[in-house]
Amino acid sequence: MTDEAADYSARVWDHFRAPRNAGVFPAGTAGVFTGRAGSAHHGRAVEWTLRLDGSGRVAECRYRVYGCPATIALCSLTSEAVWDMSRGEAAAYSVVGLAEELGLPAEKRAAALVVEDALRAALTGYNGG
Amino acid sequence: MNDKIIYLDYAATTPVDPRVAEKMAGCLTCEGMFANPASAHAPGRAARGMVERARAQVAKLVNAEPVEIIFTSGATESDNLAIKGVAHFYRDKGRHIITSRIEHKAVLDTCKQLEHEGFEITRLKPDQDGLIRPEMVRQSLRPDSVLVSIMHVNNEIGTVNDIAAIGSITREHGVFFHVDAAQSAGKIPIDLKALDVDLMSFSGHKVYGPKGIGALYVCRTPRVHLDPLIHGGGHESGLRSGTLATHQIVGMGEAYHLACEHLTEEMPRISALRVQLWQALHAAIPQALLNGHPTQRVCGILSVSFPGIEGESLLFSCQGLAVSSGSACTSADREPSFVLRALGRDDQLAGASIRFSLGRFTTAGEVDAAVRIVSEEYRRLRELAPAL
Repeated sequence: MTDEAADYSARVWDHFRAPRNAGVFPAGTAGVFTGRAGSAHHGRAVEWTLRLDGSGRVAECRYRVYGCPATIALCSLTSEAVWDMSRGEAAAYSVVGLAEELGLPAEKRAAALVVEDALRAALTGYNGG
Repeated sequence: MNDKIIYLDYAATTPVDPRVAEKMAGCLTCEGMFANPASAHAPGRAARGMVERARAQVAKLVNAEPVEIIFTSGATESDNLAIKGVAHFYRDKGRHIITSRIEHKAVLDTCKQLEHEGFEITRLKPDQDGLIRPEMVRQSLRPDSVLVSIMHVNNEIGTVNDIAAIGSITREHGVFFHVDAAQSAGKIPIDLKALDVDLMSFSGHKVYGPKGIGALYVCRTPRVHLDPLIHGGGHESGLRSGTLATHQIVGMGEAYHLACEHLTEEMPRISALRVQLWQALHAAIPQALLNGHPTQRVCGILSVSFPGIEGESLLFSCQGLAVSSGSACTSADREPSFVLRALGRDDQLAGASIRFSLGRFTTAGEVDAAVRIVSEEYRRLRELAPAL
């Protein structure tokens, strides 16, 4: 796999091999909002669950992801980025920009859109503290 | 070979057997058989002798006459020479060619090129086991059919077509029959004297020989004529011009000689390892699906689809393994395997498939380790995924 792994930067590879913050909250956790985008049929599906505190900040976030290594790495890196952001900051966060910063090949940019769509879908569930 | 990597991609290519490498090295330097085999002087005649010995070794493995073996640059060129050669030579006889949807790209793309030139191509759909049934061929024959090209063993799923039965049908109808045997030579006994096959393609590097060398069997009785692809010197009975690469040819000859010697011992051993691999994988991952016919298959190839995970992630996760997600020649485009799609697998399953191919140097310990790696990574990716 060495040659193919070279398609991705060390940072992407690291987050693919050891994704941070993956999973779901325990059942019954209060203040959790869920958003989903994509489908297995289209090659990638992402589900975010965010716990927002009373002031609307992202107190914790989790995700589940089906997709290529780029999709998994983008979820992991995005979870670190939006943690502790305000709702507005998180909604404005550009996963597409992250993909560009990581130097992902153009055909992988669609992965960023799915991660971003799912994140925004989760944030739209929050209507103020 | 990196000791940390378990190589289970023998269908993509095999390492050169050290005994082959030794013979090849003897054809390169001053002390060896380096001369041009077409030269009339003594060193040239000696090199020619080595080439003819290799030709006989290749012929022996498949029970053909040495004169019926034409050396090429590989199975891709052999496929091109066979298909274009017949199509162009017999263009006045007919312009209809029959092949299957799951041939190697060397056949499919060659047929596509002929389609551009005005030939009509029928591409047979395999059954759900990945087989081209002889009756499918019979039903697709037309008065203007000139050639049928069906592979012996499929390179992705390992299923074995009944080329004896297909050959009987084509011979009965006076249509030429070409077989791509890149994945079967040295893995399955082939007796060309007992088969109604007119043309058969062979590869060196799938049989522990070097890359860059292959051969085409061209039947003498009944005689098949071909238009050559390459002109310039009239080598290989005028069918393939170009200075003969003695070291490559000698390497292929030795590789086929070794295959001939080891075939009866290797087939059951590798077959048992493949069965061990599938049984252990299926026990660890009961959702795993076997692609291709359960028993009508070559000893070393196992194709498995894994529901609920994404193919590229699976492949990249299995870092300690050298396996293929499809045909090595097409894996660069990362499209779901067209072979598995033709078998009716959906995009997810076709994408999340691994072809394990075992060979001469595979051990039971490597098979166990492969199962452990794949099942651990499968579980990791499944736990990461949402409900689908």
